[in-house]
Amino acid sequence: MKLLERILRYQIITSLCVLTLGAILFYFSVDYLIDREVNKELMRSKAKVSWQMRHISELPVYILQLGDSLQLDQVRYPGQMALVERKLFNEFENEYQPYRQLIFYERVEGIWYRVTISKLLAQRRQLLEAVVMTVTFIVALLLISLLLLNSWLSRRLWRPFYKTLRALDSYQVEKHEILTFSKTHTVEFEQLNQSVTQFTDRLAATYQNLKEFTENASHEIQTPLAVISSKIEGLFQDESLKESQLVALSEISEAANRLARLNQALLLLTKIENRQFLAGTEPINLVPIINRKLRDLEDLIEQRQITVKTEIEPTGPVMHPALAEVLVNNLLTNAIRYNINGGTIDITLAPGRLTVGNTGTPINSDPELLFERFRKEGTHSASLGLGLALAKTICQVNGQTLTYKTDGPLHILTVTW
Amino acid sequence: MKLLLIEDEKALATSIQNYFQRENFVCEWAADYRTAVDKINIYRYDCVLIDLMLPDGDGLDAVRELKRNFPDTGIIIISAKNSLDDRITGLNLGSDDYLTKPFHLSELNARVQAVIRRRSFQGSQQIRFGKIQIDPQEHLVQVDQQEIVLTRKEYDLLVYLIANKNRVLTKESIAEHLWGDDADLMDNFDFIYTHIKNLRKKLMDKGCPDYLKSIYGVGYKFSEQ
Repeated sequence: MKLLERILRYQIITSLCVLTLGAILFYFSVDYLIDREVNKELMRSKAKVSWQMRHISELPVYILQLGDSLQLDQVRYPGQMALVERKLFNEFENEYQPYRQLIFYERVEGIWYRVTISKLLAQRRQLLEAVVMTVTFIVALLLISLLLLNSWLSRRLWRPFYKTLRALDSYQVEKHEILTFSKTHTVEFEQLNQSVTQFTDRLAATYQNLKEFTENASHEIQTPLAVISSKIEGLFQDESLKESQLVALSEISEAANRLARLNQALLLLTKIENRQFLAGTEPINLVPIINRKLRDLEDLIEQRQITVKTEIEPTGPVMHPALAEVLVNNLLTNAIRYNINGGTIDITLAPGRLTVGNTGTPINSDPELLFERFRKEGTHSASLGLGLALAKTICQVNGQTLTYKTDGPLHILTVTW
Repeated sequence: MKLLLIEDEKALATSIQNYFQRENFVCEWAADYRTAVDKINIYRYDCVLIDLMLPDGDGLDAVRELKRNFPDTGIIIISAKNSLDDRITGLNLGSDDYLTKPFHLSELNARVQAVIRRRSFQGSQQIRFGKIQIDPQEHLVQVDQQEIVLTRKEYDLLVYLIANKNRVLTKESIAEHLWGDDADLMDNFDFIYTHIKNLRKKLMDKGCPDYLKSIYGVGYKFSEQ
């Protein structure tokens, strides 16, 4: 939910609560005031009636207000004074209407009278309703206009914020971009923009440092390795060396080679993780890459009597061409390395999907571990254990997914985009 | 043949120099950019080997300099940087090849010979070794004027062996030459043996002496003795 919508929602809820509560409170207070007024009037009427009854035997007609009525009944004993509310039949209106009655007792010349003064409440109710309605309407109008003003203002004031948000959204660190913004008049947004600018500035510098460091470190490692390899190769030409020495040298050479390959693979992995390849992405057609790779590997495929079944149509994901090469290469070499002699490889390339399935011995460990670095199934000593980790990283960085499943004897790796 | 090696790592430079001197190449060495540029502008070389990261300059500038003044000189970049950009820039500038450190000296040797062969005149492009004659343009192999049909890998293997004649070649360097990065797919190097065996048989069937010696635990050696 958008911030503005949330703010608006809270504002509306609060306004409604305040409005309801206010209206109720207002209703009761007005009601109370009017009630008190009615009672006072009744008491005034009582005083008048009592005075008249005591001093003048005849009661004048106009003693009470219009619509009120007075009733005198002879009683034997006086009772308590009472104030009651009841509905009485009004002959003019021909309906029952609420009245308030004040009942009291008065003794005139030794005889007790029960005096009942009835006061019509209808007008009072109408007044009450009118007052409450008017006030409520005014308050509601005020609240609605406030809300509208608020949402319009927020939308206008938050515009720089959304601009910053959009800029951050499309920010790519590998472009070494530093985000800058035009000045806004809101202090908070100005601060935010300044922070973002400083932050991206630092980020670009750190990213550049990291990139340089990994490349330099790799360079520094490759050079001594090159020295080792070249010296060993020189030694091989020395005819005075004994067989056992040659074998030892050969083993050193193998180890140095392996180290070099490892270093290169790790450097590539780091570069991919640093998203250094995002800059040159383009839609790739995987067909020529797959065909070229299969041609390169045809000796190995023949030697192990592997049958390759392909079902490919020209399509492919959006990624850096070099990474597409690495991805295809790693999937295919993986399918050959862990295959059995006389096995099969199924390659399916369809829109949105590349599937490479190969026969092989069942995997005992958790399939997800296959994608971890330096994870090797069995004793394939020539493998660096980085192939699938590389493939997985390439997919992650480019927004594709790489999944593993088994289907009978087949191990199937699927790239989807 | 005259080579110039531009490389700041002394130990590596000595190995490379020794290796090429045994091939009867004159191999001069420049340890920094300034010496390199001086040498380039004074002497003529058949092929220049350039390291991209030099203490006082960028090897790519040396490539530009060479291309401008001596477009006929072969150029091979040897760099520890495997970054795609450098490789593409280097090749676009007109270098003939790009080799990533560490490399096998035998591989470097084969590439240098290929570059020189490509750049020299038509007649001398033929590769000869004993009874074997190869026309690299036609991919044609003959023994005593009889043509031999070789597979692509067998042909590459033969050219590589002749380029590094009289030298001990490790199985790894052969595997890497033939299969590149896929060489690590082979759990053992028996696989090379199949190709070696087939090649040797095809050559000997046409009356070629067995030039190929196997060196126990290490690899092979191609020589006339």
